[in-house]
Amino acid sequence: MNQELFQSFTTLAYRPFIDPINVHRLWYWLLIPLALGIAVTYKAVRVGDMSHYVRQVAAMTAQIVGAMFLLGLGSYLLIQHVLPLILPVK
Amino acid sequence: MLAALVVPGLGHVVAGEHIRGVLAGAGVLGLFFGGMFIGGIDVVDSREDAVWFYGQALVGPIALGVDWAHQNKFKVIDPVTKQVRSANPNEGRDPISGKAVAGGTPPNEKSLSKVNELGTLFGTVAGMLNLVVVLDAGFPSRDKPRKPKADAGATA
Repeated sequence: MNQELFQSFTTLAYRPFIDPINVHRLWYWLLIPLALGIAVTYKAVRVGDMSHYVRQVAAMTAQIVGAMFLLGLGSYLLIQHVLPLILPVK
Repeated sequence: MLAALVVPGLGHVVAGEHIRGVLAGAGVLGLFFGGMFIGGIDVVDSREDAVWFYGQALVGPIALGVDWAHQNKFKVIDPVTKQVRSANPNEGRDPISGKAVAGGTPPNEKSLSKVNELGTLFGTVAGMLNLVVVLDAGFPSRDKPRKPKADAGATA
């Protein structure tokens, strides 16, 4: 992981915000900054008492990442284990 | 609300809610530029990804400016078809005419696959969240503080 990230930043032709980074094999890790960005924005306009803001952002980020993980796990189990029982491949 | 349309979070800052505005703006702009960091400027493209751009455009003039720069400063004019397109890996861009020049360096590298999809998604989510921020600047709604249990029992 670190080597791929390192290579993506040290390529001579790479120009930040103009060229893409090379994270093709690590794309699923981008869920974490996506969830964090959503939580930071949504909780900024939703939380009444800003003293709870950081805790609420952390909780919402964890909820999004956890829910996506469970959805992925559920899809995997359905396709790899449940569907072959219902519709066996001949 | 007009200020919120110009810069994400500015509506709250103008209304006196400085911290809320800065945090909301940082979230929206962080997602938008985070998407560009992941997929490059290619993820903001009103010609090739029009439906996704409708969502990204909700970020405001910043998204429109990035798309203008992408269309007019990074894309090339095909010498045969005269159509505007991204430069191929072995092409450069003539800075005056904007036409594709064989043998140069492309103005930007086109992003592909999941990197392009996720970069585009970051920008569109940023735009949709900015719509929430703009609406909140005009019509604020907050979570009400929870009543302590003792008070709740006393009022029942």
